[in-house]
Amino acid sequence: MPETLSSLIPLLLPFDAMQAPFMQQALLGLLLLAPLTAAMGVQVVNFRMAFFSDAISHSVFAGVALGLLFALNPQWTTAAFGVVVGLAIMALQRRSSLASDTVIGVFFSAVMAFGLAVVSRERNVARELMRFLYGDILTIDTTSLRWLALLFVVLLLFQFYSYNRLLYIGLNPLLAHAHRIEVARYQYLFAGLLALVVIFAVWAVGVLLVTALLIVPAATARNLARSAGAMFWWALLVSLSSAIVGLLISAQEWARTATGATIILVAFAWFVASTLITLARGRS
Amino acid sequence: MSQSPAPAVVFSGVTVTINGVAILDDVHACVPVGGSTAIVGPNGAGKTTLLLALLGQMDFRGRITVAAGADGATPRIGYVPQRLAFDRGLPLTVLDFMVMGTQRLPLWFGHRAREAGRARELLAAVRADNLAQHPLGALSGGELQRVLLALALQQKPELLVLDEPAAGVDFQGEHLFCELLEGLRREHRFTQLMVSHDLAMVTHHATHVICLNRRVAAEGIPGEVLTDATLAATFGLHMGRVDPTAMPVATTSREGGPDA
Repeated sequence: MPETLSSLIPLLLPFDAMQAPFMQQALLGLLLLAPLTAAMGVQVVNFRMAFFSDAISHSVFAGVALGLLFALNPQWTTAAFGVVVGLAIMALQRRSSLASDTVIGVFFSAVMAFGLAVVSRERNVARELMRFLYGDILTIDTTSLRWLALLFVVLLLFQFYSYNRLLYIGLNPLLAHAHRIEVARYQYLFAGLLALVVIFAVWAVGVLLVTALLIVPAATARNLARSAGAMFWWALLVSLSSAIVGLLISAQEWARTATGATIILVAFAWFVASTLITLARGRS
Repeated sequence: MSQSPAPAVVFSGVTVTINGVAILDDVHACVPVGGSTAIVGPNGAGKTTLLLALLGQMDFRGRITVAAGADGATPRIGYVPQRLAFDRGLPLTVLDFMVMGTQRLPLWFGHRAREAGRARELLAAVRADNLAQHPLGALSGGELQRVLLALALQQKPELLVLDEPAAGVDFQGEHLFCELLEGLRREHRFTQLMVSHDLAMVTHHATHVICLNRRVAAEGIPGEVLTDATLAATFGLHMGRVDPTAMPVATTSREGGPDA
């Protein structure tokens, strides 16, 4: 299926840059990834989980290290390890009396330290790890695209089923619990799926930019929206348009910038504009 | 002590200890069905802790029994928190807020007519129907309290739990809120359990009172329980009931005398 979709892209976006197959694959990957990060980002902002997604994204180093240790495919180990870390943080947050950023900070440093410890033993993998810092959507292959498409469907179903309840929990978990919403079930599901989305996003835009991809569209949407529904659509619009425009700009002769970084910069331009609009509204 | 045959809630030997400090110590009390029970006590008496234990949000020793609902199912609880801690910048209308717990279809597609209609009815019942399109974060303290009450009523509660419902509301708003609650209680026949530190309000609106200061000092009908002796035991010295009949002679003068 990804192949047939890729062949449509040059017809829809008749730019020179879009003739290359790797660009078509990249665009397809972004069209799948951007809605995922946009939808999850809305809740990440509502739950104040930006730091959580940071910790997950940094767990890829440890995930790759595990892959090296046990000679497993790093794509699998990073995904599995990310989900485990996400669920562990959520479990401890729910039980511990420590502040949630303290819990996350502890895990954050532990997974980073583990990754560094393994890498420092095997110096030749240090370069391999560099690619995770910046990510590379341009090298996404068909297998990854298939998995991304599967994740897209799962997330769509999850969001469709849970968006309103997650909003309730994000507003005040105690109130939601008293009113018979299964807070724990939604929180664990959300943490696990968010970890998967973050790991996929790391492959695309890199560790340094993944939180931005989640937060910036949602933050912009918050500035512009006045209802819960509108926030979702704004986040989707900002995320998709930034992904497409960013990819095209990065491929231009005059730009030749890293794709992930360019996408985030376009999203940031959206954010600046939305902030100016909010300020202007406040003044009038 | 209570004459009601089957209490809605029974606290027996409820003890909560946090880091070695006893917040609640062997609390025994009951909440009569259909009445308006008030838990009174000074700051730090463990009133909110007792509610959290009831709501399953606090580990405790002892037992809390909540009577089964009319159909024998788990009782439905409506909860009105003290001051809802939430993010006021969240883009969320009052109608979004009311619908998010009942409608499955994501709010991206707006509100279903049926769910929105029900939400508006509930808002009308708490005299907040004009607020439906307002942002939740822009409501005043009193408005937010009424919207939270509407949300709790959405549960069709058998037990309505309110934590300091009048905190942060002016005197008039508080009076209105209590009148509203009484009307709703008569109409929907729920049992009401609220925490309050406002003795005047309790004297007027409660049918049963639990005086709490880590332990239960007294329990029963307000007129019998709120004596100077129990109030001193609950709140400490110098805390007496304001009893209009026991006022100095100045109450008869139209100007009112200096009240020392």
